[in-house]
Amino acid sequence: MGITILPPVSDDIIPRHEDDSDDSMSVDSDEDVEMSGLRAPKRARIGNQTLSTGVVTPGEVVTDDPQWMRGHGTYMTPLSTSIIATVAVQSKRWKVDVAAPLLAQLPLSAINLPGGILRRRTSSDELQIRTFFSEGDLVVAEVQSVHQDGAASLHTRSLKYGKLRNGVFLAVTGTGGSGASSNSTKGGVGSNSLRPGAGSGMGGVVRSRRQVWTINTHNGGGEVDVILGVNGYIWISKHADGTAAASSATENVSITRMEEMVSTSIYSSQNDEIIPQTRREIARLAQCIQVLVQSGIRVDEETVMSAYEASLQVDLEVGDEDDEDEDSRHEGREYLEGAKSRRILELVV
Amino acid sequence: MMADRRRVNGPPSGTRPAVFTADLQLGASATDRAQRQRQPSELRKIFLKTGLIPTASGSSYLEFEPSASLAAARANPKSLIPPSSALKLACTVHGPKPLPRSAAFSPNIVLTTHVKYAPFAARQRKGHIRDSGERDLGVHLETALRGAIIAERWPKSGLDITVTILEAEDDRWWGSAPDSHDASWGMMNVLAGCITAASAAIADAHIDCLDLIAGGVAALVADESGNSAAGTTKLMLDTDPAEHRSILSACVVGYMPARDEITELWLKGDSSKASLEEGDDRSGHDALIDGAVDAARGAHTVLAEAVRESLLRIVGQS
Amino acid sequence: MSNQRQASSASQVPHLSPAELSYLYTSLSLPKTPIRPDGRSPTQFRPLTAETNILPGTNGSARIGFADGTQAIVGVKAEVEKTILSNETLASERGAGPEPTDQEGSTTAAVGGHGSWVQMSIEIPGFRDDDALPVFLSEMMRESLVGAVGTDENSDMTGGLKGRLVINKRWHWRLYIDVLLLSQPLAYPLPLLSLTTHLALLSTKLPKLKSQGEEDPFFDDDWAVAEYLYPRSSPSTGAKISSSSSRPSFVRPPVTLLVISVGENIIFDPNREEIAVADAVLAISITRDTQAGHLRLLSIRTVDPPSRLTQPGVPNSENVNMLGAVAPTDDIAVLNPVTGEEEVPGVWRPRRGGAKRSVISEMVKTVLKKGGVGEEVLEGLEGVEVS
Repeated sequence: MGITILPPVSDDIIPRHEDDSDDSMSVDSDEDVEMSGLRAPKRARIGNQTLSTGVVTPGEVVTDDPQWMRGHGTYMTPLSTSIIATVAVQSKRWKVDVAAPLLAQLPLSAINLPGGILRRRTSSDELQIRTFFSEGDLVVAEVQSVHQDGAASLHTRSLKYGKLRNGVFLAVTGTGGSGASSNSTKGGVGSNSLRPGAGSGMGGVVRSRRQVWTINTHNGGGEVDVILGVNGYIWISKHADGTAAASSATENVSITRMEEMVSTSIYSSQNDEIIPQTRREIARLAQCIQVLVQSGIRVDEETVMSAYEASLQVDLEVGDEDDEDEDSRHEGREYLEGAKSRRILELVV
Repeated sequence: MMADRRRVNGPPSGTRPAVFTADLQLGASATDRAQRQRQPSELRKIFLKTGLIPTASGSSYLEFEPSASLAAARANPKSLIPPSSALKLACTVHGPKPLPRSAAFSPNIVLTTHVKYAPFAARQRKGHIRDSGERDLGVHLETALRGAIIAERWPKSGLDITVTILEAEDDRWWGSAPDSHDASWGMMNVLAGCITAASAAIADAHIDCLDLIAGGVAALVADESGNSAAGTTKLMLDTDPAEHRSILSACVVGYMPARDEITELWLKGDSSKASLEEGDDRSGHDALIDGAVDAARGAHTVLAEAVRESLLRIVGQS
Repeated sequence: MSNQRQASSASQVPHLSPAELSYLYTSLSLPKTPIRPDGRSPTQFRPLTAETNILPGTNGSARIGFADGTQAIVGVKAEVEKTILSNETLASERGAGPEPTDQEGSTTAAVGGHGSWVQMSIEIPGFRDDDALPVFLSEMMRESLVGAVGTDENSDMTGGLKGRLVINKRWHWRLYIDVLLLSQPLAYPLPLLSLTTHLALLSTKLPKLKSQGEEDPFFDDDWAVAEYLYPRSSPSTGAKISSSSSRPSFVRPPVTLLVISVGENIIFDPNREEIAVADAVLAISITRDTQAGHLRLLSIRTVDPPSRLTQPGVPNSENVNMLGAVAPTDDIAVLNPVTGEEEVPGVWRPRRGGAKRSVISEMVKTVLKKGGVGEEVLEGLEGVEVS
C-alpha cells in the first residue's frame, strides 16, 4: 500500500505542422486583413452568430464593423452565491478573497446583526467587528453589486448565508476566477499568487439551477449539504437542521424571535458533533469532486451525484475482488486515485 | 605541479599553528586532548543570571563551567592554544511590542529569533552576516520556544529574541583533523544553552509560558576507557566535543519538566550501536532522548533558581 | 508574505478557518481509524510520478511530481577540487614517507572526506534563499546525507558519501546539489524534495578515474564508462532494478520522511490541511543499513507545527453574538488526554506545548520497524528505473 511511484505519463502530443502553405501562398500582400490566415473565412461570418465556434488569438482582427462595441473586461463576478474567505478586517468592512482578480468587500452594513433585523448598527459593532467574522473565517455570501473596476460588494442578509462550519472546503477552477488550483488552495494573504494554472480552464463549477443541495448519503452518513460557489469554492458539510429545529419550536416563539435564534448561529465557529460515518461520506464527496476536476469535467449537481454513486459502486466492485484480504481492504479504502478514479470517470461519463 | 613557482604563494586558506616537537616531548597537557573528568551523567555547572541588559525587556547571560583541562590550562598556560572552550552567551528579549502597521493581523504573538556568533566566538573567525548554521540554530530555537510561550495572550504583537554567542563550544578537539569527525556537535551544545538562556530571558520579560523550558544534550561516544571491547559506545550527558575522539550521535532537546513534553528535538548520527546496560532494552535513539531530557532536567533547576532570583530582585526594587 | 516569514520552519501560516481546523482535527484524531480528507490510510503516501536523468548538463538529476501539480527538480553537479590538508595528515605523511598506501587503518580518518564538500541549495518560489524554510530544509537534508556512513567494509562507500568523494589525498570531488521547487509549496515540501534528491543522487555518475594513486587526477572522457556515485552491486543489473524483493547490497542515499501526530494517531505524508492541525511534526531521516538489512536512523528534527499559529475558535457560550441563544452549560470543556489541555468539543484551540516522549518514540518506531513505512518507501524508490 504505502507509496506508489509511477513513471511520468506524457500525453501523446504529436507536433502538428499543418501544411498550410497553400493558404499563405494565396494571400495577397495587399489584402492585409487576410494575413491572419485560416480564420479569415470564419471571421466573415460573425454576423451569422458563429462567433462561438471561431477561436481568435490576441492581435487578430475580430471585426471591423463599427456597430460592434468594445467590451470592458471579460469577467464579471456573477450576482449569485459564492463561498469566500475573509482576508483582512478593516474598520467598517471586511476585505474578502473571492478568487477574483480583486478582493471583494463585505460592509458591516450588509450583514444581519444579532438581535433582530431591525437593530441599528452602532459604533460598538464596529469595535467588535472581529466577533462576527475574523481573519481566516470562511463565509458564504451573495454578490450584491459589482463596481466599475470589477470589485464585488457582498452581503449576508439572509439566513442561508454566514460563517461555514461542520465541513470541509475545496477550491476548484472557477468559471471566471483567477483559476484556483485543484488542491484546495484557499485565498488569503500571500496565497493569491499561490495558485498554479493547473486547471487549464477546463471543468470547474458550472452555474446551474441549484448551487446548494442536500445529499442523503449512504453508509449511514446521514444528510450532507453541498454548496457550489460560482467562484469555484466548494463547501461540503453535515446538513444543518437548525432551520428545521427552530421552525418546530415556532409554536411558542414569535417570528422575529425565531429569526433571531437562527441568525445567531451564523456567527458560530463551534462545530456540532459529527459522527465518523458522516465524516467519511464528506471525505468521499470531496474526492469525487477532485476526481471530476482533475479530469476536466464540469462540476454541478448532476455530475457530483453521479460521481458519488459511481464511487460507491466502485467500492463494491473492489470489495468483491479482494474479499480474502479483509485487513488491507479497509486500509486506505476510501482513497480515490489512479484506477479507482478512472473507473469512476467511466461510470460518470 | 600546478603551483606557481615564480612567487611565494601564501597558503590557500588559514593555517594552524605549528606543533613543535619540544611540546610533544613534554608528554603532558598542552597538546594532549582534553579528557573528560566528569562522570557520564555529571553535568557541567551553569552560571545563569537574568536582567543584565537594562534596555531590554528581558535578558540573561549564561556560562558553562570550563572543563578541568581548560581550567588547568588557564591557571598554568603551557600553550597559546586553550585545550577546549566553554560556552558563553547572552540573550535579550524585546517586546511584546506592537507589530508594524503594514504587518498582517496575527491572533498570536509573532516570535522572531536571531542567533549570532560574535566574530571572535569560535576559533575560526565568523563573519558579520549570519551563515546557514546560525540561521538553522535560530529556527531550532524558535521551534523550542514557540511551544512554551502562550502565544494567544498577545494578539497583534511581536517578540524579538536575540542570542549572541560570545564563546562557542568547539565542534572537535582543535588538534584533530577537521575531517576526523566534522559534524557540528558543538552547535548542539550551543542550542541547548540558547534554549535555557532564552527561557530565562523570556521569564525576565514577564511573558506567560506554560513552563520554563530547558535545553539538554546527550551523546553516544566511542568508549576510550580501554577496558571494554573496541567499538562499544557509552551514553554521556552534556558532552564537550573537545573531550572525545569520536562522537557517534548526539541529541539536544528543549524540554518542559512540568508537562513532561519535548518542544524541540534534534538528533543526528548513528545511534544504532548504543551498548546500554544489561536489561535496558531501549533503542539507541530512545536512550539518547532520555539522556538529553535528564540533562535538561538538570539545567532546569539552575533555570528555576535564576528566575526566582530575577523575581526577588524586582520585588526588592519596588 | 510577512506571514510566511514568521512561520519559519513551518512553511506558512495555514489559512483555514477555526471551524475547518476543528473538523479536521476531530476527523484525524478518531481513535485507530483517522479519516483523512483525501481518504488515505495513515501510512499511505500520495501517488507520485518520478523520472531520472532528465538534465543532460548534470552528473545526475531527477524530477518528481505530485498529482496536485507540485513538482521538484534536482540537479547534481560534481567538480574536482584540491583538498586542504590538515596538520595531522601532513604529519602522518611526513612520517609515512613516500608510500601513502600503507597504514590503511590510521589513514581512513584522514581521507574520510569532509561534510562541507557536499553543498546543497534549495530554491522555493516565494521565499528568499536565506529565509528560514529553505535554510532549515537544506541543513536538514545535508546533515543526513553527509552523516550516512556506510558500514560495508568492502564497498567503495566506506566512509559514506563523504568517503566516496575522496579521489586521493590531495584531491576530492565537490558535490553541488541544487533543488528547485517549481511552484509555491502547497504542503510542507520536505518529502517531495527529499525523495527527488534521493533519486537524483542515485542517478549521479562521476567520470571514471584514469590516474592512479596520488597523481593529479585525470579522467576517462567516455561518459559510458562513468561510475555511479552510489555504486551498484553488480554491473549487469546496475542500470535497472526490476524486482524490489531482492535486497540490494549497496549503499543508498538517505530519505527524510515527514511524520505528524494528531491525537493518538501517527500520519505520514501529510498534506497542507493535515499538517495545519498536527500536534507534533517530525522529520525523520533513514537509510538502509547495508549489513544488517534493517533501517538505520540518521537524524530526527522537530518541525514547528503550524497549528500553533492558527486562529482560535470561539465556543458558543463565549460568543457575544450568541448571548441568550445558548445556555452556558451546553459546552463543557473536556480534558484532551493527549495534549492535556481543556477543550470544548468542536472548538479549535491552537496547539500548545510539545510532544510526549512516548509519542516521539512511537513515531520513530512506525518508521523503522520491519515492514514499516520506511521500508515501504525505500522499496518504492528502488522500483524507480534509474537510467
